[in-house]
Amino acid sequence: MNKSLNHPNDELLTAYSAGSLPLSQALCISTHMEHCQSCGQKLQRLNRVGSQLMQQLKPSPASAELKSRLLDQLDALTEEQSPAEAKPSEPDSSIPRCLRQFVENGYENLPWRRVSTDIHSVELCRDSNGARVELLKIRPGGSATTHTHLGDEYTVILEGSFSDDSGLYGQGDFMVKGAQDKHTPVATQDRECICLAVTEGPIQFTGFMSRLLNPFIRRSYA
Amino acid sequence: MPGMTKQLNSGEKLAQMSQCITEVAENRDKASFARLFDHYAPLIRAYSLAREPAANLVADELVQEVMTRVWLKAAKYNPRLANLNTWIFTLARNCRIDYLRRNSRYATEIDPTDIFNDMEDEGPGPFQLVQQSRVEENIRAGLKQLPREQSEILTKVYLEGKSHQQASDELKLPLGTVKSRVRLALKKLEVLVPR
Repeated sequence: MNKSLNHPNDELLTAYSAGSLPLSQALCISTHMEHCQSCGQKLQRLNRVGSQLMQQLKPSPASAELKSRLLDQLDALTEEQSPAEAKPSEPDSSIPRCLRQFVENGYENLPWRRVSTDIHSVELCRDSNGARVELLKIRPGGSATTHTHLGDEYTVILEGSFSDDSGLYGQGDFMVKGAQDKHTPVATQDRECICLAVTEGPIQFTGFMSRLLNPFIRRSYA
Repeated sequence: MPGMTKQLNSGEKLAQMSQCITEVAENRDKASFARLFDHYAPLIRAYSLAREPAANLVADELVQEVMTRVWLKAAKYNPRLANLNTWIFTLARNCRIDYLRRNSRYATEIDPTDIFNDMEDEGPGPFQLVQQSRVEENIRAGLKQLPREQSEILTKVYLEGKSHQQASDELKLPLGTVKSRVRLALKKLEVLVPR
């Protein structure tokens, strides 16, 4: 079903399982995993490693006071709903659960901003490490112009598909581009392509015309 | 239970605790919850202290958070997806992520609740693991046989919550060495099987 998917590497999955991954990257992994059973299974095995390591720790006794305080509170506890639980979307919604905190009413109702003829973008949030979390929308057949990044760029395809020098990517595909990787994603002709993109530093467009744009684009990352 | 002081092995203990979580889920049984607390609270504290030694208040806060979720989410826990120990580990990890986020110098609005919900029924696709217990046993036995240098790194990564880069700085080892030790260790535990 998903043998052709592009996956996060083992290092990223391990950090995700251990809880040491920046949340913006974890968001990408989680989005990918909604489409990928094999990464889900790997994650479950990785979680078992953490569980076994925890079992082998020397227990540090909790005070009787902590226990009785908690037991006394049990009847008064009420569950807080997560953002996705609080806003259940249509059952047929294709918006990944972990993104529903940012996308309440479908992709089309987001405040998209025009980046170029071919691309619109909307910033969802920033991570505490400064990484920018955004959605990119490329029109059918449109090109995201050649660009490089100052930091790594994590991308997961949410809708549609695109191709670049290294191949064709479709829904659920996950990829990381390093600072040195230049690439020119082109959306397929049949439909627009929407991606989740996390960038650790400002994107730099390297095409001839878009070089002129760079000062402005960079400013929006300030 | 008075008179039941026999030392249980880890499998028996897990079976006993699994009974308790069922009692909590189905009957809201506080005595069973107290037994879960007795077993898991010291481990949760140890997990917290592994990252922040001597931070006893932080450790107690983590116990409070995790055990609160155990009480509230017991009915959502699905033993087919993960055994109870693994569920508790993921709850502790998730609570720690949330604690760090709330106390971070630079705030972020990313809410981790819907990101790390892989253990609940309505989470992203119920992945069922074949031969659960065999995997479990491989990992348990494998951990004991790992060379010290490899288990040391796994401890840094999983319990102390260090990134590979931080582990490399602390152990004064090249980043590549840290990465390959983690990889080797996970390979021996048969966690990273080829697709």
